Amino acid sequence: MTEAWHKVLACVARSLTPLVAALALIASVCAGSAQERSRLDEVLQRGSLIVVTLGTVPPFAFKDDKGELVGFDIDVARLAANALFRDPNKIEFVVVTSDGRWPAIESGRADMGVGGTTVYPDRAIRVAFTRAFIDSGISIMVAKSAGIKSLQDLNQEKYTVANLNNPQMADRAAALFPKAKIITFDTPSGEFLAVKSGRAHALQIDTPTADYFAATSATDFEVLPTLLTASQNNAIYLKPGDFKWWLWLDTFVSELRTGSLYPKYAEIYQKWFKKDPPPQKFYLSPAR
Amino acid sequence: MGQYRAWLEAYGTAYLEAAAWTLSLAVLSFIAALIWGAVLFFLRLSGGTWVARSVDAYVQVLRNTPVLLPIYLIYFGFPLLGVLWPAAVCGGVALVLQNGAYICEIFRGGYKAIEWVQHDAAKSLGLLPWTHFRKVTLPQILVHSIPALGNQAVLLLKDTSLLSAITVIELTMQSKVLTERTGTAYAPFLVAAVFYLAMVWALEVLTQLALRSVRWR
Amino acid sequence: MAMTLSDLWVMTQAASLSLLLALASIALGTALALLLTPLAFAPWAIARMLYRLFIFVVRGTPVLLLALLIFYALAAFWGRISPYTAGVIVLTLYLAALFAEVFRGGVLAIPRPLWDCCKSLGLPRLSILRRVVGPLVARYTLPPYLNVCVMAVKASSVLSIISVWELTLASREIIERTLDVYRVLAVAAILYFLMCFAIDRLGRRLEIRLAARGFAGERL
Repeated sequence: MTEAWHKVLACVARSLTPLVAALALIASVCAGSAQERSRLDEVLQRGSLIVVTLGTVPPFAFKDDKGELVGFDIDVARLAANALFRDPNKIEFVVVTSDGRWPAIESGRADMGVGGTTVYPDRAIRVAFTRAFIDSGISIMVAKSAGIKSLQDLNQEKYTVANLNNPQMADRAAALFPKAKIITFDTPSGEFLAVKSGRAHALQIDTPTADYFAATSATDFEVLPTLLTASQNNAIYLKPGDFKWWLWLDTFVSELRTGSLYPKYAEIYQKWFKKDPPPQKFYLSPAR
Repeated sequence: MGQYRAWLEAYGTAYLEAAAWTLSLAVLSFIAALIWGAVLFFLRLSGGTWVARSVDAYVQVLRNTPVLLPIYLIYFGFPLLGVLWPAAVCGGVALVLQNGAYICEIFRGGYKAIEWVQHDAAKSLGLLPWTHFRKVTLPQILVHSIPALGNQAVLLLKDTSLLSAITVIELTMQSKVLTERTGTAYAPFLVAAVFYLAMVWALEVLTQLALRSVRWR
Repeated sequence: MAMTLSDLWVMTQAASLSLLLALASIALGTALALLLTPLAFAPWAIARMLYRLFIFVVRGTPVLLLALLIFYALAAFWGRISPYTAGVIVLTLYLAALFAEVFRGGVLAIPRPLWDCCKSLGLPRLSILRRVVGPLVARYTLPPYLNVCVMAVKASSVLSIISVWELTLASREIIERTLDVYRVLAVAAILYFLMCFAIDRLGRRLEIRLAARGFAGERL
């Protein structure tokens, strides 16, 4: 009897060893990956998404007349929260001025950022971007009464163009109308005031913003039909070095524009820009 | 450290230019504001009730409203009346108007330290109001207000950063341009801070010199 | 698009936040300054040097950078803190430096004969502070002190970089949506004026009560 017991025990012991070893291995792997915790895990554990954004860039992210934060980028961020937690309200927005975006991301105060932020190579050295969730571009707006009809008209020394403080506009101006004088403001309202007061004759502005203003607050302005750039990528930005988090966000954007979330994307695109988004695939017709 | 060296090489000249703008705007505006503040205070002292009241109203309005408003009005509003000054001039005038009001208030504080006897003496000598002001009041209030004026000079220097809203490329605007271009969190502002600190240090040295060179009664 | 009454309500709410931030920072800043100014006159050189260093760094650095550094440094140590708390801390430090210099100017303005009198009377230190230095400094420094208080209300506008929502940011948001620049700025100016003017008037009342005989003060 004792002999049999010994045999059984030895058997069990022998089979336990690999099991214990396997458990130890799994435990060490878990411990190891816990040390390289991704932002994604942190977000999932927290149960809400923290997004840094601007509040002064219509129609991407701005405050309505009740002081509520609204805009296309805000809705995209809510779709991300929905994808993570099935609830578009499990989200917290940190509203800063444009210089405050980068410290918020770098310090980890926010998980990700939106707000009309364009991908630019110089920036990409320090900030990680997903693929674009909307194609933007730069247009020129002129006062209807000014009589400027094209870019060639603008390229004369007597004209002054108001720019925003961003590198794309500076580069475009140098390339496309070098003869005109340039003055740089840090907000679109400064640009509009400059044209209204006669200090400038035209202004460069993001195409969606131009369309928004032409329809609402700047009806005495018109948008010149030429697009100044091919396309600009407005994207979600995040702290570089966290592949897992970047991969999820990039997958989310990819699904928004070309995959399962396209209907929702088309819905918010219609809401803010009053037109259909580019089709999911080139061989498919647009949303409807 | 190497990162900062690369920065300085690439953007050093731009920063120096911006710093030159900041410094010249601050110095010129401060001198003009001192003169304007002294004139305002003189009017307040010797102008009669209505003049004194209007000076008081002017001082109150300009002290208690954000300086961005006069800056915007002069830069964007004046052209509609046909007055088209360059951006730096518009900003400078706005800064002078506001800081003149602050300096008038500082002088009011320094005035309290002058004994009444001196004013009686000046009157009994038959001095004209302007001479009274120039020879008796002004030197003493200047002396008493040196620390507060030094403070105000530093604040004026920092206020030049508001001119970034009307296209003047001074230090803060330069930092903003670089932050936009490169997405860097702190470096552009830190470099600008070094410049600001250097200028503030110079101002402090000047204030100390001014204090030392005054002989106390 | 013009601004609406709804916008006006939003701006009023933002104004009350600006005011609260300012009042909290003024109170805390004054307390801190009262601790700092004695350092400027301490017999130990190292205390005076520390004072000068503090004033130099806090006054000389742009408040924007101070806000960024302090907010994110505090967050690194204490986890998530509310931007409003950080805002009050930043403004307190900044105002304390300004107040300390104002108080220092007041002490320096006391005429030398008065110091000699105190010495010859053999008054104890505390008595000198309470009966001579205190009242005189209060009288000399009230206008510059009020200057700084008024600045405090407007200084909270730089805190928008660390997501503090207050009147200047609220005005910017409305302006960028409606392009109704002059009207919004005018409303903001009126709101700022009401707040600053109220602080100023309260201060003036105090000034009148402190006015003394033999000094030119009471005529103004």
